[in-house]
Amino acid sequence: MSKKIVSLFLVLLMCIGMCNAAIAQDAAVSVTDMYGREIVLDEPAKRIIAMTPADCEILCAIGCEDLLVARGEYCDYPESILALPSLTTGGNLNVEEILALEPQVILMGDMNQSAEQVQQLEDNGVKVVVSQSTDIEGVYTAIRMISALVGKTDAGEQVIADMQNTFTAISELCEKSDKTIYFEVMPLEWGLWTAGAQTFMHELAHVCGMENAFADLIDWQPISQEQVIERDPDYIVLVTGMGETAADEVLSRDGWEDMKAVQNKLVFNADSYAMTRPGPRLAQSAIDLYEFLYNTEFVEAAE
Amino acid sequence: MKKKTDHFSWWMYALYALILAAVMLLCICVGSVNIPLKNTLTVMWNTLWGLELPQGVSKNIILKVRLPRVMNVALVGACLSLCGAAMQGLLRNPLADGTTLGVSSGASLGAVIALAFGVALPGMENAGTVGMAIVFAFLSLLLILSLSYVLDRSMSTHSIILIGVIFSMFTSSAMNLIITFAQEQVKSIVFWTMGSLSGTHYRHSLLLAAGLLVCGGIIFGHARELNAFAVGEDNARHIGVNVIKVKLTILIAVSVLIGICVSVSGTIGFVGLVMPHMTRMVVGPNHKRLLVSSVFSGAVFLMLADLAARTLLSPVELSIGVVTSLVGAVAFIIIFYRTRKAG
Repeated sequence: MSKKIVSLFLVLLMCIGMCNAAIAQDAAVSVTDMYGREIVLDEPAKRIIAMTPADCEILCAIGCEDLLVARGEYCDYPESILALPSLTTGGNLNVEEILALEPQVILMGDMNQSAEQVQQLEDNGVKVVVSQSTDIEGVYTAIRMISALVGKTDAGEQVIADMQNTFTAISELCEKSDKTIYFEVMPLEWGLWTAGAQTFMHELAHVCGMENAFADLIDWQPISQEQVIERDPDYIVLVTGMGETAADEVLSRDGWEDMKAVQNKLVFNADSYAMTRPGPRLAQSAIDLYEFLYNTEFVEAAE
Repeated sequence: MKKKTDHFSWWMYALYALILAAVMLLCICVGSVNIPLKNTLTVMWNTLWGLELPQGVSKNIILKVRLPRVMNVALVGACLSLCGAAMQGLLRNPLADGTTLGVSSGASLGAVIALAFGVALPGMENAGTVGMAIVFAFLSLLLILSLSYVLDRSMSTHSIILIGVIFSMFTSSAMNLIITFAQEQVKSIVFWTMGSLSGTHYRHSLLLAAGLLVCGGIIFGHARELNAFAVGEDNARHIGVNVIKVKLTILIAVSVLIGICVSVSGTIGFVGLVMPHMTRMVVGPNHKRLLVSSVFSGAVFLMLADLAARTLLSPVELSIGVVTSLVGAVAFIIIFYRTRKAG
């Protein structure tokens, strides 16, 4: 009898122990990055470097700007992060400079940094987390991953919910039409590039009830000028970052003068930084796009 | 082919013109967008004679997008190929062309400086880039020549090529330095150096044609001296060629042409290096034949390469440099193999 009590007591103890272990394990963080690699941290990251502007914006959106110890050279939003040390990205990755900042985690895009450089960072105890999204679902995945890394999953879910709400609100305002939008990612001067299917730009067109003029392509692709003239889109949206005169340049292009969008002057010089980055500001981009396409102000429906 | 006369007979020129016209027509009729042949021909015929254009025909695509591009591609191909032929003859070096001599990179550096510091000239759009490219092509040439002169009074071909290569490395470092410091314009510069002919206009054709006419004329005028150089510099000197003056004249003409080409299209490799070789294998080493033939073969080759770039993966457009290197390398090996076998 007493044996039974002892064993019962032992089982109870074990249970408590396991619970304790479970609680202790709660502090540890395990995420799968967007290359499918498992990343395990003992505790939520406290010192982070974000190399891509989108990841930088995601971190700040979930209220973790103070965890950033440095930023990639092209990260410029929100403006307050410009005060942080700026690091060269891609193939020019400066491993020494990064190690000197003693980050726990470095968020990187799928750029041309070499596998050796990544290995060097990992050998020195820096967790390299790859974030790579081309569509809106990917942005949500990146937000979930980054918020898990810093132990702020609730804040992450909130950002995602806000984005989803904005997209839904816009969709509900727009009637589906077969009008087409041509996104110009790279200007004519350097050879045209546009956004095809499976890109967040393509999805933004759908959110606004319209079609992407180059939906038959996948990803971002270089295209010929003839194709744009031939497809004669209803709207032209520029995300080329060519400054204020970009729309005028398009309107004055030789051979484009008979296109619908040019005739009706429906060329939108969008905020290229917001619309080209897979981050939370895509919601604002959708609002901007909606306001341009329907020539009306976006008013969020009262709950 | 008769070997007695230096020049081609008239029918050879007629044949060249015919091939050129045929390829040009093909390139205008075939493109990323399918336009019925009849429509294309109607548009061109009616425009040529100032007739009214029928409604509903894609005249903009043909006249304002495709035609200027095809013309520019042909002219750039002609210029680069001619420059390569002239330099290979002059320096007796099969590897000489605008790139190896450092003139192309000098021109690029000029254009990059124009882009980074916003150098602009009144009158023409992009005149700053064109002007700076030409000026820098000139300057780099002067630098290369005076350096070789200081190091080696006879200005032997080896020292010029060597200094050209060193100069190319120097300019590429200088460009990287500018790109590092000119953060704001970085995008513009990086993409510019990749080169693209997709947004070129008739005014570029005018510029290229004028350059080809003037500089090409000068180079053609020195065909006899180039033949002498091809045998050897001493030979040229012995038969009474003013070696330094002729060298200088030809190199200046070449550098102006390359400056113009680089400012219009960025750097397109392979044409200047390979087309003269391929042409030489067919028409022989006499520059009176070679120079003219190189102009035509360069134009035809680059037009076909561009056609492939525009249509192979349509609506996606390839970079012309990718096609020139791919097609050029294969064609070069085939021709080389055949001539070796025949010889």
